[in-house]
Amino acid sequence: MKSTMNVLLYMPPSLRERRRYLLFEVMCEQEIDKRDLLKEIWDSIYSLYGDVGASEIKLRLIEYHNREEGKSGVGVLKCAHDKVEEVRASLACIHSVNGARVGIRVIKISGTIKGATRLRR
Amino acid sequence: MPNFFDLNVHAYPETDAPVEELRRVAKRYGYAGIALTNHNESVKERVESNFIITGVEIRANSVLELKRKVTLHWGKVPLLVVHGGDDKLNRAAVEDSRVDILAHPCGENGEGELNHVSVRYAAANGVAIDFNLGALIHNRRGDRARILDKMRETLKLVRKYNAPMILTSNAHSIYDLRAPHEMIALAALFGMSKEEATSALCDIPQGILEKRWKKDREVELL
Repeated sequence: MKSTMNVLLYMPPSLRERRRYLLFEVMCEQEIDKRDLLKEIWDSIYSLYGDVGASEIKLRLIEYHNREEGKSGVGVLKCAHDKVEEVRASLACIHSVNGARVGIRVIKISGTIKGATRLRR
Repeated sequence: MPNFFDLNVHAYPETDAPVEELRRVAKRYGYAGIALTNHNESVKERVESNFIITGVEIRANSVLELKRKVTLHWGKVPLLVVHGGDDKLNRAAVEDSRVDILAHPCGENGEGELNHVSVRYAAANGVAIDFNLGALIHNRRGDRARILDKMRETLKLVRKYNAPMILTSNAHSIYDLRAPHEMIALAALFGMSKEEATSALCDIPQGILEKRWKKDREVELL
C-alpha cells in the first residue's frame, strides 16, 4: 500500500513542468530580509504582467542570503523555462526593497540547482 | 563577448555616486565603458582609463540657450548629449549635427513627444535617439504604461527612418545601473528585439564615440 502511495505522490519526470534556475546577485544599501525581497519581486511581476502572467511564470525563491556585511546578497530563483526574460525584466525593475536602494542582476541560468550554483572555473 | 556601453550616467558632484564606485560596478556588470554626462558641466575629476568617457548633458530652457551651450561645449568633450523632453528643444537638438545623443526625447517621465519629422532629422544628422530605461525602473502603473506607449511609438519611427538608437540607464547612483542582459530584457517590454537591443548597447554607442555617422556627413559635404 505504501509503495503505491509513493508512486502517486511523485509526478513522473515526463509530466513535470520544465523549469529554469536563476542565480542572481543583489547590490543593496543595507541588509535586506528574504521575505521583503520576495514580496518586492512579486510586486514587480504583478505590476508588469498581471495576475495571469504571474501565474504562468511560476516563480519560487529557493534560497537567499546576504554577504559582505549586507552590501550584497545572492540567491536562487526557480521559474518556468520559457519565462526567463520576463523574470529578468521584473528583477531589473526593482529599485528599492523596504526603502533601501537595490540593483539586481542575473548571473547564471541553468536547468538544475546544482548547475546554477556551481562555481565558475 | 560584445562591448557594451552605457552612455548616460550621472556622477559626483551632481549625484552622490563617486566615479570610482561607478567604474567598479559597471566593470563587474560587464560593460566596456560608461559615459559620465552631468548636466551642463563635465566631470572635473580626471580618470586615467579608457573605461570612463567624459561627456556633458546640456539642459536648456529655450532653443537659443541650447544653441549657445552646444557652441560652448562642442569640441571640448568627446560626447555631447542634449536633455530632451520639450518638443521645441527636441527639434532643435536633432537639427544640430554637432549633437551626439538626444537623451530621453519623451522626457524623464514621458511628458514629451517625438514626431516623424524630428526622427528623420536625427537620422540625417546622426543624432542618436536614446531610450531611457531608468524611467521604466522608477515608475509604476499608469506612468510606466504611458512611458512604454511613447517608447513604442518612438521605436516605430526610429525603425522607419533608420535613425541610430541607444539604450541608457540614466543612472544617478550605483543602484540604478543595470547589467547589459537586464537592459535587453527591459527593452523587450516595449517591443525591441534582442538583436536591436544588443546593437543599441554595443555597435551604435561604439559608432557614436567614433563619430561614425558624422564622418559620413562631412565626406558628403565635401
